[in-house]
Amino acid sequence: MKKALLGLVIVLMLTGCIPNADSETTNEETSGKTTISIWHNFAGDDLRARKVRDMIASFEEKNPNIEVDEQAIPVDGYRQRISTVAAADELPDVFLTYAGSFTDEFYHGDLIQPITPLFNEHSDWKNAFLDGALEPYNYDGELYSAPVAMSATSFLYYNKDMFEEHHLSVPKTWNEWMEVIEAFNQQGITPIALGNKAPWVAQSTTFGAIADRVTGTEWFLNAVEQDEASFTDPIFLDALNRFKQLVDKGAYADGANSMDNTQAEQYFAQGKAAMMINGAWSLSSLGASQSEEVLNNIGVTVVPTIEDGKGSGNTITGGPGGGFLLSSKTEGKAKDAALDLIYKLSNAEAQKQIAESNSMVMYDVEIDKKNVNPLFYEAFNLIREVEFAPVYDLYLTSEAGEAVNNGLQEIMLGGDPEKVAETIQKAQASNE
Amino acid sequence: MQANLKLKGLLVITLLPALLLYSFFVIIPIFWSSYYGFFEWSGLGEATYIGFQNYMEVIQSSVFWRSFKNNMIIVAASVFGQVPIALALALMLRKRNWFQKVVRSAVFLPMVISTVVVGLIWGYIYDPELGVINAVLRAVGLESWTKSWLSDPSVNMYAVAVPIIWNYIGPYLIIFIAAIQNIPSEMEEAAMIDGASGWKKLIYIILPNMWTTIKVAVVLCISGSLKAFDQVFVMTGGGPAESTEILATYMYNNTFLVYRYGYGSAVSTMIIILSLILIGISQLLMRRKNG
Repeated sequence: MKKALLGLVIVLMLTGCIPNADSETTNEETSGKTTISIWHNFAGDDLRARKVRDMIASFEEKNPNIEVDEQAIPVDGYRQRISTVAAADELPDVFLTYAGSFTDEFYHGDLIQPITPLFNEHSDWKNAFLDGALEPYNYDGELYSAPVAMSATSFLYYNKDMFEEHHLSVPKTWNEWMEVIEAFNQQGITPIALGNKAPWVAQSTTFGAIADRVTGTEWFLNAVEQDEASFTDPIFLDALNRFKQLVDKGAYADGANSMDNTQAEQYFAQGKAAMMINGAWSLSSLGASQSEEVLNNIGVTVVPTIEDGKGSGNTITGGPGGGFLLSSKTEGKAKDAALDLIYKLSNAEAQKQIAESNSMVMYDVEIDKKNVNPLFYEAFNLIREVEFAPVYDLYLTSEAGEAVNNGLQEIMLGGDPEKVAETIQKAQASNE
Repeated sequence: MQANLKLKGLLVITLLPALLLYSFFVIIPIFWSSYYGFFEWSGLGEATYIGFQNYMEVIQSSVFWRSFKNNMIIVAASVFGQVPIALALALMLRKRNWFQKVVRSAVFLPMVISTVVVGLIWGYIYDPELGVINAVLRAVGLESWTKSWLSDPSVNMYAVAVPIIWNYIGPYLIIFIAAIQNIPSEMEEAAMIDGASGWKKLIYIILPNMWTTIKVAVVLCISGSLKAFDQVFVMTGGGPAESTEILATYMYNNTFLVYRYGYGSAVSTMIIILSLILIGISQLLMRRKNG
């Protein structure tokens, strides 16, 4: 009796706790059907997410002998989920990545393989990418991905009616900007809507653009490498002080640090704030949530230039966005299928579809004005006339990125820019 | 004797599955995590052994100790907020009539709401523009008292503690009511005959008979608030500028936002050590009071 009971317990333990070895077999099944797995973050209900999911579905339909095992993971948890499976060496065959340090880590960990053959096969396609679009995915002459997005993180959105009503013009320079902020404050209007509860917002949307105007791109790239430039340099302190000046001028509402980015977008769209600095993502979210009338009343431009700064004023922080990577473990038939899928999701047709779902792409494509919202169309044309500047947290180590994020919140709470600069420098230097 | 042995054997066998599962999913990971604490590891690629460096960094980190202090505010708020309020409510609501049942359910209600929802609700209550609190203050002319409750570092830690108190009064209320109802009625009758009523009855009859229950409640309270995470995470995420960081959010942010798995593991090991020390101290203090 006792033994039987013990036996039962052991059986239960074995079946419950030890993963079934059979479930992790190779990708190729005997039936001749090839299974490939794909993970991406197009999980939402927005136009672009639906279009990408449709593309995957139609790929599966057109290739009856390929089975696509698709996982759509919400954006917020995506990076973490991928990191976790990467740590466990269980990456899917194809997965979405972000340009920059995230992709670097896969490359340095030998977790991905190049998709250069795809580019050689379709040279028209390769040449239609905008300048620099493929740079982040170029490691030692081999290309690892094709961007399906553009990240542009610092558009200055403004409420046309409010500027007109108060006889103000859209600021082109720092001084004009300060005057406009003061004027709106006198009217009791919040000058700039900011939702900095998740602390990357101020950094990604506002500070990166200001800092680039003050220090120039080259200084920043040197500071990242800790090459004769340090975040305690006076020039960077000047950039932090510019941000402090915005705060001290009362550019932001009191609770900006406890408001989230979506709330800030609504706040701005409802006409409670005159301006908002936000990324291209706001084009899609405002496009989806606001009426045509509201959208027509919103203008979009670049952050004002800083006259005595070292950087070019006509920049937007951003650059090539995410693209699909191919796992280094995918071989044989599965690899062919995976390459086909990657092409299908990033070829000219795909880029057009993505652009027409109100999302920026790094690809030379004409869009039909009728198919997109007016705000997006304005921004789409604006972006062709500007240069890109680096987004801070895509270049800094994640620790230093956090230090910038928290430091900006500290400055908003009255903290000392000099101390903030020291913390950032320490965090960046610790990883060299 | 024989029967006794058999019983013990059966006990061991029936406890075994739970024990094995528990050690597999709780005890062993604790040791694993303290082991990871010796490595510099970003979650991807190779981990490098760096000895006690992570642990030293935790101990020297001012943010870690600020998180600890903030966590102590939550512990204090729970022990001196949840327990007395629950006790007072239990004394008032121990009858079984209709009205008291409704009030009891109302107090228990927050407990069945998901903590994420609690965080969101209170996030709106505290909202500086649209929130109820500031709206009420403005309506009664106390404009100067309005604050951005969650982003002003002088008040935000207390603001964060309130929903946590509110959230968990329910279970303590139920425990206390059960304890009060377990006091034998003969004792209360005897006390009445001896002329003890009101406060005297409370101090000499009810509280001493509930003491063990209160002790358990306090220990649950301390360990529960050391684990606090969800409401704070939803309301502020530890910010702004790490001003509402508590131990668990500090660990989370370092592990999953900055991708320092080794350091995060060292932090969680330190959390366990600190929790054990606190629980030990509270046990000691309570034992003395009891003796």
